[in-house]
Amino acid sequence: MTIKSTLTGAAIAAALLSTSAAAEVLFWSTQAKPVEEAQAMREQVLSGFAGEVDYQPNDGGPWITRLNAELEAGSGSIGVLGALHGDFSAMDPENLVDLDDLGVSAASDTFNSLAMLGTDNMQYIPWMQASYIMAANREALPYLPDGADINALTYDQLIAWAANVHEATGEPRFGFPAGPNGLKHRFFQGYLYPSYTDGVVRTFASEAAVGAWEAFRELWAHTNPGSTNFSFMQEQLLNGDAWIVFDHTSRLAQAFNDRPDDFVAFPAPAGPTGRGFMPVIAGVAIPATAPDMDEARALVEHMLLPETQIATLRATNFFPVVDVELPDDLPPSVQAAGAAVATMSASPDANPGLLPAGLGDKGGEFNRVFVDTFERIILAGQPIEAVLEDQKETLMRIMEETGAPCWAPDAPSEGACPVE
Amino acid sequence: MTAETTDVAEVGANTRKAGQYVYIAAVVLLCAWVIVPLYFLLINTLSSPEAVNSYPKPFIPEFDLGSLTFFANFAGILTALKNSILVAALTMVMSIAIGAPAGYALSRFEFRGKELFRLLILLTRAFPLPLLALPLAVMFIRVGIDDTIFGLALVHTTLAIPFAVLITFSLFSGIPIELEEAAWTLGCNRLTAFQKVILPLVLPGITASAIFAFVISWNEVFAAAVLTIENRTLTAFLLQNLDTSPLHLKFAGGFILVVPALIFIFAVRKYLFAMWGIANR
Repeated sequence: MTIKSTLTGAAIAAALLSTSAAAEVLFWSTQAKPVEEAQAMREQVLSGFAGEVDYQPNDGGPWITRLNAELEAGSGSIGVLGALHGDFSAMDPENLVDLDDLGVSAASDTFNSLAMLGTDNMQYIPWMQASYIMAANREALPYLPDGADINALTYDQLIAWAANVHEATGEPRFGFPAGPNGLKHRFFQGYLYPSYTDGVVRTFASEAAVGAWEAFRELWAHTNPGSTNFSFMQEQLLNGDAWIVFDHTSRLAQAFNDRPDDFVAFPAPAGPTGRGFMPVIAGVAIPATAPDMDEARALVEHMLLPETQIATLRATNFFPVVDVELPDDLPPSVQAAGAAVATMSASPDANPGLLPAGLGDKGGEFNRVFVDTFERIILAGQPIEAVLEDQKETLMRIMEETGAPCWAPDAPSEGACPVE
Repeated sequence: MTAETTDVAEVGANTRKAGQYVYIAAVVLLCAWVIVPLYFLLINTLSSPEAVNSYPKPFIPEFDLGSLTFFANFAGILTALKNSILVAALTMVMSIAIGAPAGYALSRFEFRGKELFRLLILLTRAFPLPLLALPLAVMFIRVGIDDTIFGLALVHTTLAIPFAVLITFSLFSGIPIELEEAAWTLGCNRLTAFQKVILPLVLPGITASAIFAFVISWNEVFAAAVLTIENRTLTAFLLQNLDTSPLHLKFAGGFILVVPALIFIFAVRKYLFAMWGIANR
């Protein structure tokens, strides 16, 4: 190598090594990941912030790995974290800056106390919320069973409806997000179990739970068998593989936005113990290693402003957590989902559940219990009682190891929530 | 007698014909195996969201540029593309610079621990990156090469080196040492003999392992997502966001990820074919 080329090499190396000095706040998020939502976050939500923001949505793996690396190295570039309650609850609260003195919080006290992660201070600030609802193709509406009100369905009526559609079209057209990235576990934890057993953990292997799984097995007979590959039901609504579906509001949004006149959104059905449903809550937090604490705090405050909350709603289909007056010109998906969620929570038999809390990093294992139970009972056709007795052991072990107390709709407990 | 010979000749011709059909069918099948998915990717990239979600799929693209325009306006995508190319190129250079001499040494010299060394090289692929990423990132932050193209290229080089070493090892082993010895007797020293005799012979193979290195770096997501922030590669920038995106954007994003790699392989195809003995056709 000549001296000249060595010099050029060194110059290139120097160029490659240099990092641009960043005055931007790095917003490290697991939410608003789809490219369109990320784009909307950058252009509509964060453009209103006085400083510069670099919005980077990530998969859960890289998100937590990078964060842990910065915390361990003791210096970092992440300014603000955006994630689900479950992501934060798996972290050590010591690594998050206490945010009480910001003076911003959610309108719901339940959310605010969840955000303390078992400490006495706010570890994250609730940022936005969503829920799971049902949606249907209008073509399915004529097959509603006699006397059924779509805004007050029961599980029996839902099964009869799916059966009618199956019979009339010759194809099972109920769609369920049982794919690898589907949110099926939330259906069992927040919808099926509360509606049939008025509990999740205590009643896991109860007689009522057997009834719940029997009902779900009936529903599965009219479910598109391709459901084990479905993760975003908006796709199956749009291509017609499913006519009646259950999913997260933001995972149905595209169907309503693309063809608002073809689909209806409605509340989840009710069972013997009421209409179980569950909120989803995302929060913003500041890691202890944030490079510019003041800018990060300012950004967290900005995220909670009413205008930002409405912009966030438009961008992500997640609803505000503070009291805001919603404008009339919201996208169709927001209007449809908002109405369905409102009807659901205002229904006389509403039985709201909470997100699993206090499980720490065992949240994934807790979800696994429900997914395994589903796969064994529904997909493998194993006897319900035996599977529940078996899975109960795992669930009990998780509860005892974490010592997590019961959450609604389970009755409160002293110490770890028992599996009865 | 004559009749019999014609019969035999006919049977022979028939067999040859049948063989040819099988051969052509196999070629068509193999081409379809590769091209059909790419073609569907192209069609869906150039279709409107409605067409992407409809069934059956059209066979002729409608040249709706909506999905591609979206990415053209997607903030930071060009920088990410540039970073991807830089990292992949750097990985290519470093893995050959380190891997080829190692391959040469393995094939020409006997030394203690040679077998162990070969095993150890493979071991760098035995640990999944999600496991290594955390300690690596901590170290990178402390050393100061966090969030640099050079740092990421180092990681990708580590991933590519086993291939570089093993490919070049078999290349050098395939060239008789006598050729080198002949060069020495004719006035070359080790270095010039390598330069004048061996290098021209192995160049195509080295290109092939360079392509491997390029593709490995191009496709790697996890380390890139953890180790870079400002200087994201295209895969880290796009791939994690695509799995939750609507179908038509998945196709367009996939297309954008595939095309540069295709162009690169197309550009160097000559050297690849040269390795298989059908140079410059």
